[in-house]
Amino acid sequence: MTNMDAAMSDPGASDNDDLDMVLDPKVQESIGRSLKAHYDDIVSAPVPDKFLVLLAQLEATEQRAAGASSDERN
Amino acid sequence: MSATDLKAAEFKATEFKDGLIREIPNLRAFAASLSGSMQLADDLVQDTLLKAWGNSEKFEPGTSLRAWLFTILRNTYYSLYRKRGREVQDSEGTYAERMATHGNQESHLDLADFRKALAKLPEEQREVLIMVGATGLSYEEAAEICGVAIGTIKSRVNRARTKLAELLSIGSVDDLGPDRTSAAAMQRIGSETV
Repeated sequence: MTNMDAAMSDPGASDNDDLDMVLDPKVQESIGRSLKAHYDDIVSAPVPDKFLVLLAQLEATEQRAAGASSDERN
Repeated sequence: MSATDLKAAEFKATEFKDGLIREIPNLRAFAASLSGSMQLADDLVQDTLLKAWGNSEKFEPGTSLRAWLFTILRNTYYSLYRKRGREVQDSEGTYAERMATHGNQESHLDLADFRKALAKLPEEQREVLIMVGATGLSYEEAAEICGVAIGTIKSRVNRARTKLAELLSIGSVDDLGPDRTSAAAMQRIGSETV
């Protein structure tokens, strides 16, 4: 069961009963599939190297800083 | 800091970094959905990673890293990027019109049409529809990220779906094709079919 389905069967979702009834389940399903297709298309795209480079730099900076403070104590 | 502490800190940093790396594809997809531009999305993701790294001590282990990062990304978008997003879309069109698709080429046309419709939704509806419909976040997490009640999230999701169906003209016999004619008929009857 997806989150979207859960909302439809949730007895607590009484504030929008009028809207809940508007869309046919097959239309909802079709929108759900398109949403996933849109999102997953970007998720599966290659990640630009710059992000990995950035994180590696941040990590290296932090380790140097930690190493330096450790040296000061010893 | 003792050598043991140093090792522990290093391990923690590496673990956090690996978590960030795992979430980058989702951050890009969410950022693109918000801003309507892949280039802005990548700027937004970079800012988000920098802020997350600088505030890593504020992340509570055991909670959802994705939800935490989405909160940072969303706040950054609304405070810094929203205006730029509109400018980019005005000058270049939305990413829906320019973006190359990866993967399933068969659905290329449908996907482009869907993205154009998605871009037309009000931001507050679009972001929650993406969160609960595509990212795997719960309604509770979406409510926390947006700082609103769960009922508000549900209401926005419903309005977003209704609006999308309208924009995509789902329900007309022509658009649904013969195998979905019954769906169109059911939609016209509305609540009687539920």
